[in-house]
Amino acid sequence: MRSGAYSSSATTVGYQLSGMDLTGLPSELVATAQAAETAGVDYLVLPDRTAARPDGASPPTALIAAAFLAARTDEIGIVVTAATAYHEPYSLARQVASLDHIGAGRVGWFADSTTDAASDANHRREGHDPARNAAARAQEFVPLVRDLWDSWEDGAFVHEKDTGRFVDPARIHAVDHVGAVLAVRGPLNVIRPPQGQPVVFARAADTPVADHADVLVSGVPQADHAFAVVPFVARDEAVARELHAAAGSPAGDADNAVIVGTPEQVAAQLRHPHVLVRFTTRGQLAAFTELVLPLLDRSAPSGPTLRARFGLPAAPNRFAPTQDKELTGNAR
Amino acid sequence: MPADRELHLGLMFWATGTHQAGWRHPDACADAAYDIELILEVSRTAERAKLDFVFLGDRLACDPSLQHSNPAQISRLEPFAAAAAIAAATTHIGVVVTANPTYSDPYGVARNLASLDHISSGRAAWNLVTGADAAAALNYSRDQHWDTQKRYDWAEETLLIARALWDAGDEPINHRSEYFSIDGPLDLPRPPQGHIVLLNAGTSDQARELGARYADMVFAGPQPTLAKRKEYYADIKSRAAKYGREHHVTVVPGLTPIVAPTTEEAVALHDQLNSLILLDPEVEVSELVRAGGIGEGFKRNLTSASAAFGVELRGNDLDAVVPAETLARVSDDGRRRLAEITRLTRRTADGPDRITYADLVHATPQQLSHVVVGNPEEIADEIQLWFEDGMADGFNIYPAYVPGSVTAFTELVVPELQRRGLFRKDYRGRMLRDHLGLEVPGMR
Ligand SMILES: Cc1cc2nc3c(=O)[nH]c(=O)nc-3n(C[C@H](O)[C@H](O)[C@H](O)COP(=O)(O)O)c2cc1C
Repeated sequence: MRSGAYSSSATTVGYQLSGMDLTGLPSELVATAQAAETAGVDYLVLPDRTAARPDGASPPTALIAAAFLAARTDEIGIVVTAATAYHEPYSLARQVASLDHIGAGRVGWFADSTTDAASDANHRREGHDPARNAAARAQEFVPLVRDLWDSWEDGAFVHEKDTGRFVDPARIHAVDHVGAVLAVRGPLNVIRPPQGQPVVFARAADTPVADHADVLVSGVPQADHAFAVVPFVARDEAVARELHAAAGSPAGDADNAVIVGTPEQVAAQLRHPHVLVRFTTRGQLAAFTELVLPLLDRSAPSGPTLRARFGLPAAPNRFAPTQDKELTGNAR
Repeated sequence: MPADRELHLGLMFWATGTHQAGWRHPDACADAAYDIELILEVSRTAERAKLDFVFLGDRLACDPSLQHSNPAQISRLEPFAAAAAIAAATTHIGVVVTANPTYSDPYGVARNLASLDHISSGRAAWNLVTGADAAAALNYSRDQHWDTQKRYDWAEETLLIARALWDAGDEPINHRSEYFSIDGPLDLPRPPQGHIVLLNAGTSDQARELGARYADMVFAGPQPTLAKRKEYYADIKSRAAKYGREHHVTVVPGLTPIVAPTTEEAVALHDQLNSLILLDPEVEVSELVRAGGIGEGFKRNLTSASAAFGVELRGNDLDAVVPAETLARVSDDGRRRLAEITRLTRRTADGPDRITYADLVHATPQQLSHVVVGNPEEIADEIQLWFEDGMADGFNIYPAYVPGSVTAFTELVVPELQRRGLFRKDYRGRMLRDHLGLEVPGMR
């Protein structure tokens, strides 16, 4: 994220759901998402892990959960997590673009360049070992996905009954990416998503993808980052401390701050333009929604898209000849 | 043949319509491919008619030059995303997702299919294709599309890995082979249907064998003659018999019904749709090439028609009637095509309604599926004939345009099939396996 990419008036609160939060009957998943939407949460980050989870959680894939929830909600942003090591850029680009169409511009992608041994062991095949080249692959991956999202200019899907022009081939572009790891010709087989560029998130510490993200997430409050926190909250401060202790007294790190206290104490530490909250239990999710969220000082988003919630400007298309090239170079 | 055989009907959901100019019909939704509300509404319409499934085809490349010959093939929503949204908006109908193992990894496909089955409470199906598009390779960091044998070896192994992962619970599978090294386990419990319902399509020997051995349903492409349809059906069943599966696997050809309350209206609708197709420019005979892509065949112009019918047709007014003397001179294949024209348009070489040059042009490219034009009884007759005469166990219904052709089929033809006792009046259960009369398979 470039500094100044957000307008300072925007204030967003996102929930980074855990596998456990999304383990259950489909109706329970819908209830979780609708409750967050009703409470005014700006967006949900849906987890995705390409291996069995140590805690036994069994959520649907982020892709399936996102489309299902997009069809059952109206406003809340939906962000899918996807690791660059275990996905193909062409497939990922079309999945996120399709979700953005289904969600009418409410969708984002949380890019993750990391690998883990358990996931690697599920993805070795002829010609592909995810543990090899992971960083180089990730570096190429995000800009390539962005190119694919732009491969159809706005308006290239003409569908003009009178003339019979269905598409305008002159406004549909190959991306012709040939990198050290990835080679993708394009164009994408999905028209440009409603947001042009769905919002890309990354952990600030995730170097290979952070450079190309719109929203960086870190556990250290910085003006132009989304501040990632794990709250332990209760009306009674002592109870909050007990909850924290029961969870093994986790300490904060570069990726997440840990905040323990009463609703007022927690809210006081969240005076930050963008907050992304992760919960250790469903009880904490409910408690935060009920007790802390109403205390946060938030302005209404400037539009219905996830980009608008972050105050991100309309995304120019890198392939459109009429666009200001300088603008295209800066906006991501 | 078991006495309790049931007809199965799916909706081949190309939101742009399966007729190349369907999107231009005055009542069509021209941008239906991206109108999610319409996609969900059409899915609910299919569900109200008690159809077995909504079918989402796919391809992994984008070729804008298909815009007049096959516009639905250019772009669409990614099938898993569309399927999960459809699952959220429906309660009973099955949802078929096309996924190509050549360009995906087994663990990822197994997870998405299992997730879709869980979230839909047992309504997911997998259309396993190995890809009609060589161009896909260039979108997936590869130099070339693999040959047929490798694609099907890879596909079969992918299927077996997916089934092992679905069955394994929280035990690792530790699959090792020349192609794959996959430990597992999956991060999801066994899907409600046990194994996701499997469909496949394909013309090669390998495709037929895979279907006969593993598929619950084989999706049959168009065959030019009745004899060939019977041959294909019998071939799948006899291959399946080797595996004791001849009563298990169903054969489901595509069918494009152009239906209206009367025959005359249906013929008029068929003519109207064809009149909306933008024809290809005429070329020199030496430049005659077969058009590429799915639904491959000659182009739509008088040059191609001349080649297809074996007589010189160039230079004539398309709306003019073709002289009977000209039609008498066509090739054998041309005579087959003339019979097709008469079957669809009711026009003949010498009757009151006569065949035009435009009819010849439209009969030149290969059709994507078998087209039937008529009133509800005529369409039902054709379905019944195929069903009872060893050509089909059901159909994947291709809507010429959306949503009109879907509502026309569900409102006019489905009730007629129900009256005849051929098609269900209600769902028997909630899972796709229930609609197909298939048990949840036991663990291996
Ligand atoms: C009726 C029918 C529908 C098909 N639908 C698709 C499709 O949606 N996507 C795709 O990639 N291939 C599709 N195919 C192609 C085949 O599944 C198969 O992968 C391709 O024809 C190459 O294999 P083959 O040599 O066995 O035919 C279809 C084929 C038929 C006959």
